[in-house]
Order: sequence, then structure tokens, then C-alpha cells
Amino acid sequence: MNDEIVLKVEDLSVIYNSSRGPVRATSNVSFELRKGEALALIGESGSGKTTLSLALIRMLAKSAEINAGKVLYTRDGKTRNILDMNDGEMRAFRWNDCAMVFQGAQNAFNPVLRIRDQFLDTARAHGRNDKEWLRQRTLELFKLVRLDPQRVFDSYPHELSGGMRQRTLLALGVLLDPQIVILDEPTTALDILTQRAIIDVLNEMQTRLNFSIIFISHDLALAAEMADRVATMYAGEIVEIGGVNQIFYEPLHPYTLGLLRSVPKLSHGQDELVSITGNPPNLIDPPSGCKFHPRCQFASEKCSREAPPLTEYDAGHQSACWHVDKVIEARKDLYKKKVTES
Amino acid sequence: MATRSSPVSSASSIEISLLDRILDRWQKINSNYVVRTIIQALITVWAVITFTFFLIRLMPGNPIQVYVAQLMNAESITYEEAYGRAAAQFRFDFNASPVEQYFDYLGNLLRLDLGDSIISVGTPVISQIMRFLPWTLFSAGLGLLVSFVTGFVLGMLMAYYRNSPLDHILSFISSLMSAVPNYIWGLMIMVVFGVQLQWFSVGDLRGTYDPRLTPAFTPEFIFDIFKHALLPVITYVLGTVGSWMLSTKSSTVSVLGEDYVNVAEARGLSERRILTAYVGRNAALPLFTLLAISIGFVIGGSVLIESLFVYNGLGNFLFQSITGRDYTSMQGVFLFITFSVVLSNLLADLLYARLDPRIRVSGEK
Amino acid sequence: MTTQAAPLVSQQRAPLSGLWTALRIFWLGVSRNRAGFIGFLGIVFYIIVVIFGPIVVPFDNEVKLDEIAAPPGTRIQLMTRSENVNTYTTLESLNGKVVGVIGNTGGPKLVEPYEDTFEVEEYRWQAGRGIDRALEELMDGDIDALVIFSQTVKDYIDEPEQAGNQNLYTNLAISNPALGPAHLLGTDTQGRDIFSHIMNGGASLIFTALLAGLFSTIIAFSLGAFAALIGGVVDRTLTAIANFVLVIPRFPLLVVLAAFVQLNNFILLATLIALLSWPSLMRAVRSQVLSLRERDYVEAAVALDLGRWHIMTREILPNMISFVAINLIFAVTGAMYEQVGLIFLGMAPINDYNWGVMLYFGRSRGTLFNPDSAMMVLAPVLAIAFFQVSMVMFARALEEIFNPRLRSSL
Repeated sequence: MNDEIVLKVEDLSVIYNSSRGPVRATSNVSFELRKGEALALIGESGSGKTTLSLALIRMLAKSAEINAGKVLYTRDGKTRNILDMNDGEMRAFRWNDCAMVFQGAQNAFNPVLRIRDQFLDTARAHGRNDKEWLRQRTLELFKLVRLDPQRVFDSYPHELSGGMRQRTLLALGVLLDPQIVILDEPTTALDILTQRAIIDVLNEMQTRLNFSIIFISHDLALAAEMADRVATMYAGEIVEIGGVNQIFYEPLHPYTLGLLRSVPKLSHGQDELVSITGNPPNLIDPPSGCKFHPRCQFASEKCSREAPPLTEYDAGHQSACWHVDKVIEARKDLYKKKVTES
Repeated sequence: MATRSSPVSSASSIEISLLDRILDRWQKINSNYVVRTIIQALITVWAVITFTFFLIRLMPGNPIQVYVAQLMNAESITYEEAYGRAAAQFRFDFNASPVEQYFDYLGNLLRLDLGDSIISVGTPVISQIMRFLPWTLFSAGLGLLVSFVTGFVLGMLMAYYRNSPLDHILSFISSLMSAVPNYIWGLMIMVVFGVQLQWFSVGDLRGTYDPRLTPAFTPEFIFDIFKHALLPVITYVLGTVGSWMLSTKSSTVSVLGEDYVNVAEARGLSERRILTAYVGRNAALPLFTLLAISIGFVIGGSVLIESLFVYNGLGNFLFQSITGRDYTSMQGVFLFITFSVVLSNLLADLLYARLDPRIRVSGEK
Repeated sequence: MTTQAAPLVSQQRAPLSGLWTALRIFWLGVSRNRAGFIGFLGIVFYIIVVIFGPIVVPFDNEVKLDEIAAPPGTRIQLMTRSENVNTYTTLESLNGKVVGVIGNTGGPKLVEPYEDTFEVEEYRWQAGRGIDRALEELMDGDIDALVIFSQTVKDYIDEPEQAGNQNLYTNLAISNPALGPAHLLGTDTQGRDIFSHIMNGGASLIFTALLAGLFSTIIAFSLGAFAALIGGVVDRTLTAIANFVLVIPRFPLLVVLAAFVQLNNFILLATLIALLSWPSLMRAVRSQVLSLRERDYVEAAVALDLGRWHIMTREILPNMISFVAINLIFAVTGAMYEQVGLIFLGMAPINDYNWGVMLYFGRSRGTLFNPDSAMMVLAPVLAIAFFQVSMVMFARALEEIFNPRLRSSL
């Protein structure tokens, strides 16, 4: 990992126009992605993770509107705002610079075309018509994701198992050597062993090909394993961002703390599990001040009045909370039992 | 004890293994989609033939009896004479047992011997059918093709711009068109555009081509063929295009929601490529199951449409045979119309298998 | 068709309350769905026409020789000499005078109630030549007024050259242009009122189509549910039979059968249509029942050993009411297609007068090619077309209302 920034998101806001009013799916999201690093976005369903990632390749639904912000992408020293690209530039950008492996990639392949034709389609769309190059490159990638190259190359999607399809999609994702790969719940539909294998493959690929990853998951264990840095999202905002160890061992936001407490750990008993009370907020009419305050155990009167800014507390570790001190106090017992037991 | 029983048991085990092998072979054949589809079509053809045999020969008040009674009345001949003539025209031996008659019937059909026409005395039915069949296949096939292509394109448009005014208008029109019976369309075209507005001469467009022209591969003749097929084709299109539009729309809408379409967009594929190879091809697949029903409907409807426009195809021939009580021709035409439908269904199924790799081997989606 | 929700709840729900809910959803949906509402209004309109049409407009079966294939709006008029045009305007005003009528036309019937008040002079039709005599005698003063059909006036007085009449009738004028009722849709080749035929000619067709649709739906549902619930060999056999019947082109078979079987009553016709049209619905019912059987509340009923009859009537059928209704409507439109098609070809009985018979006569008597008698074909064509359109629009609306999946996707 180096310090070269490939993607810089500034104040990005997305609004969905629904029949009941505008839904602020993400508001004022800012973060940076460095070359070769893996950034995990964690949070409940509906916290805006997927909306954010779709906004990065501008594949939001027709009813959505990016109403503020910049997405600055840098390749070979040249920086462009993705939101200013025209349709042609956008199409060229997709997959060539930023590939996205969707949630539930089981159906990511066109059932009536052979795998090789779908790879060829992708290469051709980006002006690479050399079939021999494509063949070499694809077979090489298949080996990297531990697939039987020749067999998969000539297969139809239905002839592959779920895990094989997922690996094929990963291979397709890096076919054009993109700088960024967005992985949206890449392992949800898979069994636990296949998940393991996919994660190993991903780690190996990332080491070899040195691309950056934006990893979306509500599986915290996976995030902990994959990511270099983690951002917690709540109600369309990034409420905490920091290094993987900082987030998992020294959380500074009550929501992150709540998420960590709700994860079962092998060393703990079931009675230790604490779920966050209340429901995710209504994004048409969000709560005033800090959006988390109705569900927060530390909430004070100030929280309902004023939204806390994202503030840096440790090196590279930011949190948006008025009561970081209380969180620090409360997090002490997070791994206490584990410590006493071991 | 053991030695005595061993030859028996080994013999039976050979039998079992032989049976197993046959069953196994059958399973293999049956698991091949193409082979299974062809076998099913053959079974259907056989069942239709058998059904027709029972209808014509064995049903009380069957056409042979009716025809014999008619002959006796009309020409005041004895029962035996009349029966003999009927037997000759229908190609059956009334001294033989029903089983023998059945196999004779099958044999005759295999040799395409459908007996002699009753109205056109001395003309074999098969030669009449061969004269008229191509026109029905041409006009009904063309109608089906045009309506499928038009309906598919419009249905995709409706799906792409769903909930827009265009979609609402086209949805309304397609419901309207699919609701009105095809012969009603035909009558409307004829009365409104032919008779009232005089856009074309109904009389001139009768038949399959202008009798003053000699059939040849000249542009003039080919143009004339299309001119004469125009009204039946338009009628078939109007009668079926609405349901193609609606079916295409619903299948396209569901394909548009599929992940692979989204992924294709994320892969930066051109819109045209996504529209054709990703959306279009997958949206077309479920329509092939509807094609089978549509083929039967259009060819079946040819009886009405062809007799309305006096287009000399198999449908009009069936109508003429029925009004003339030409039972041998009726039987032959019915069999051939059914064979055409079965064959077209078979072709549609095989084409479906070509387009959908998932059913090529297993047969199950 | 039905929502996934409410497992086990259906068990307590009586079929009637299911019907009530369905009716409420139906009304809410139909009042919001424009095409469905139009279809609904159309069906109501047809029901009213079928029930009250024959009462309001009696069937006109009288042959009128001067009204052959007359255009819409034509009617009987009163003609006098020009000097009397303002005096003899009604039949009442002709008290004690001599009024001419032409035999075998609508005239004699019209003057019948007045035979005591004035003298009636009846002229024989004589292939139309009687009209010349009547007109001459009117000019000569032998009669004071003539009851005459408007089309005849047009032919003889207004445009005599066009009708090939060399005689010129002067000094004649129409004193009452609306003596008789107007033929709204004109007349047929026997001078009978087409509108009255339209009003009277729907009942038997719609009834037969309903009957056929009902029979076919009943067969399809019994066999489909039976196959799905019994399974095994029964299922496979029934499915195979359905597939076989499905592949036979239905209409030609119907036409061929109609040539052997005398289709002399509508129940037989309906049964024959039903016997050939059940397979596609049967297959749909079969797969519906199969999928409903997987639902939790049905599995619970099976586990409680409530019996097949109970499961069918209490658990499965109430959840298929909308499906039944929609397919019944489609079956009726299908039966209408086949029935009218058969009548149009002359393969079904012509012993009563309905829209299909009008089409048959329209074709067999050559009126199809006569620009003046277009209504004889066009009127039943439109009556049938609008009936089918109303039914299909309504059924499609029901489909959308009762199938949320379809609604969101359409």
C-alpha cells in the first residue's frame, strides 16, 4: 500500500424521488481510497452502502439524483470528476477503471452466452479485440481464482456451481486491470466453505494485481479480515472511519460499538449478544441533529439539536459523535470477557 | 440346492441386466431434448391418426355410413354397391376386421394415400392437399413471422418505456387487438377498406395469384403472390400481434430486472449489445412456448380467414370439402392441418433448444 | 395469485369472507383501473342490452319489399301534392281522405289503426312498378296522400336519373318526413330493421358462450386439481391427454365434427366447444394447485388429515377465486370466437337469429360486397368485437388487481 489516492469522494449526496417525498439515501459522504487498499463499508441494510457504491459508477436507478458532491478519480496522474463524464466516457470508465461485483452474483452471467463470449463482450466494449490476448489473460485469471481454465472458458453459466460463478465473476472483474473493484456482499449467497475460498482468492488477487477494493458487507467478520480501513455508515452518512484495528478494537461511535456488540463471538455466550434497540430511521423525514440519537444510549439534549461533524480523534480515525468519551468508557467491556477467559 | 438354482438365477439376472440396459438406453435417449421432442411429436401424430380412424370408421353415424346412405338415395343403388364405392374411395376393405382395417389405414397414410376425392371424382386427396398446403404455410407463416417480429419490437419498447404514455397507449391497443377475433378483423378490413372506401378490389384479390399469370420466378409473379396473400396476412397479424406485444412486454420487464443486465451495463457494454444479446435474446425465450399455441391458432383460423378472402389454401379447401360433404378430403385435410401444426411445434421446440443452452441436454429449465 | 402472507389464517376463514374480500379488492381495483373500468361498464351494458333489448325493441321479422338494404336513418314518410304539404302532415289530419299504401311494405301496418278514419288504397308491389302507379294516382288526385319509404322517395323523386326512372313526378312533396320510426342501422336484405336484430341477437350467443366457458372451466378445474392432488400415474395420464388435445388445431376439428354431429341445440354446441378447450387452463390449474399445496396452511391441513375434499374446497379453492373468475372470462371469449366462427361458416344451426347468423347471411347473400348494406355486416361485427374487448379488458384488469406481482411489473 502506498499513499497515492485513486478515488476521492467529496460531500456526495444522493436523493431518491419517491411518491412520498425525497429520500436522502446518502448525505455529505466524503472519503478517500488509496491505491491497493481495501476499504470496507459496514452498516445495517438501508444505511446507504449500496447506493453509495452505485453512485460511484453512476448506475443508480432512474428515480435517483446525485444532487451534490464530487467523485474524483485519478489514474496515471490525471484526475477527473466522474460526475462530469458524458455517457461515452462513463461507459469506458466502467469495468476498465472500476469494476463492480454485485450482490447475488449468481445471476450475473447471461444464461444464453458462453463464458468466453461474455469475456469477449467485455473486452470488445473497451476496444480490445485481440482474441488471443483475451484467451491468455482469461485462462491466467482463471488459474488465479483456482478454476479449471479450459472447462470454464467454454462453459455456459448454468454448467457452473455458485462458487465457480462467483470466482468467474471475480476473474471478469479484474480482466481489464481496473484500479478499483467494488464488491457488494460478494459472498452472501454462498456456503461457508465457498465464502472462505472466495476470500482467500480475493486476498491473493489483490496482492498480485494491486487494485483497490471497496468492500460492502454487513458481515463484520469478513470486513475485519478483508479490509485495511473500515467506514461505518448510518442513515446515509459515514459516522466513523478508521483503520481496521481502530474500528474493531477502539470504536469511537456508539453505532459502531452497537454493531460490534451484536455480533456473536465463539468465545462468548449467547447472553452477551446485544442488538441495537429501535429501528433504522426514516430517510424521508430523518431525526434532527445526530440521526442516531433516538437509538443512542448516550444521547443528550445537544445530540437532538446539533449534528456532530466527523472529527479526527486518533491518527486517521474519525468519528461523528458528541460523546466520544462515553463511548471510550463503554467500549472497555467489549472484549473484557475474552480477556479474562484467555 | 444352490447348484440347481444357479442356472435359473443367472438366466434371470441376464434378463434383468438386459432390461436394465434397455431402460438405461431409453433413459439416455429420453434425456436428450431433441430426441425426446421428436419422439413426442411422432407419438402425437400417431395418436391423431388413431383418433381420426375411430372417428371416421367406428363412430356410430360416421361419415362412411352417412356417405353410403347419401349414395343410395342419390343414385338409387343397392347398399352393397354404395358400400363398395365408399370403400374404394376411402381405401378400406369392409370385409377385413377392424384391426386389419386400422393397420391398412396406417399403411395407406404412410404411403400418403388418403383416398379419392368425392366431389372431384378420380382425384386423389393427397394431390389436392399438395396443391393447397403450400399457400397456407406461406400465408400463415408470413403472418406469424410479421406479427411475432412487430409484436416483439413493440413489446420491448413498452417494457423499456413502461408507465410512459407510449406504454399506456400501446397496452390499450394491444389488449384491444388481442380481444377481437381474427375473422372479425378480416370482415372489418373487407367491409370498411374494400367495399366502403374502395382502397382495393375484393374480387381481384381472390385466389392465391392472378390466373392470367403463369407461375414462374418473375418479379411480377412474386409480387402478385404477395399481393394476394396481403389480406389474410394482415388479418393474421391483427389477430395475434396484440398478444405478442403483451407477452413480450412482461417477459422483457422480468429480464430487465435480472442481475446480468445490470452487470452488463456495469461492464460498460454498448446499449445495442445489451439490448440484443442480453435483453432481447432472453426475453424471446419464454415466447417460444407461446409460439406453439399461436401456430395452432393461426393455422386453425385459416379455415375462417381463407374462406372469407377466398384464398385457395388448405383452410378454404377444408371449408369447400365440408360444404360439399366431401368426407375423404375432409379427413385428409384435417390430418394434414394437424400434421403441419405438430411439425411447426416441433420446429419451434428445436429452435428454442438452439437458443437456450439450458434445455439442450436436460430438457428442464 | 394470492399473497404469501397469512399462513394458517386461511384455515379459519370461511369461503364467503374470502369472496367478500375479493369483491372489495375488486371494486377498489376496478374503480382505479381505467381500462378495467371501461371493460366493466361494457359488460354491464351488454347485460342490460341482452335482458331489456328484446323488450324495448321487438324483433322485426317482417319482410318489407321497398326497404331492402336501406342505409341507416331511413324511415317511412308521408307524401302529398305540393298544395297540401302543410295540411296533411299527420295520419290524423287525413280524416275522411284517401291514403295510398304499397303492399308488402311497412305502410299497411302503419295505417292499420286508422282504417276507420280514412279510406286506404293499397297498391300491389309488382316488382316495384306499383310505386309508379301510386305516384301517378297521387299526382292525378285519386289519392290524397301516400305512405312511402324515404329511400323510394330519393330514388323516384330526388334523383330519378340515377335510379333509371324516366318518369318525372312533379308537384309532389313530403309533408311529414318522419311518419314512421327511423331504422337506426338501416335494414337488411329483406327490409328488416338491423337495429332490432342487434338488440335481440346477443342473448343466445352470449348464453351459449357463457355455458361453454363454464363447462370448460369446470372440466379444467376438476381435472387440474384432481391431477395435482392425486399425482402419480393419474397426473401423468391427464397431463399427456391435455398436451395431446392442445396440439390438435381446435377450430378445424370443431368444423369437421360439426359436419358429422348435427349441432341442433346450443347445449350440445357449448359442450363440444368445452370438450376441446379445457387443456391449457387445466395445465395452469394443475400448476397453481401444486404451488398452493406447498403453502404452509395447506401443509398444516394435510398434517391434520382434514381430507382431500376439505383441503380442496376450504383451503385451495378460496385462494383461487380470482384465478377462476379471470379464466372463466377468457374461456367465454374463446367460446364466443369458436361459436361465431362456426355459425359464420354455416356449420352451426341457423334456427335462431343472432349476430353470428347476421354475419352468415351477410356473406352468403353477398351483402358483404354491397356498399349500401355494409351495416348488415358491420353492426354484428362491432357488437361481437366490443363484447370481446369488454370481456378481455375486464379480465386483464382483474389479473392486474389480483396479481400484485403482475401489477408492479406492468
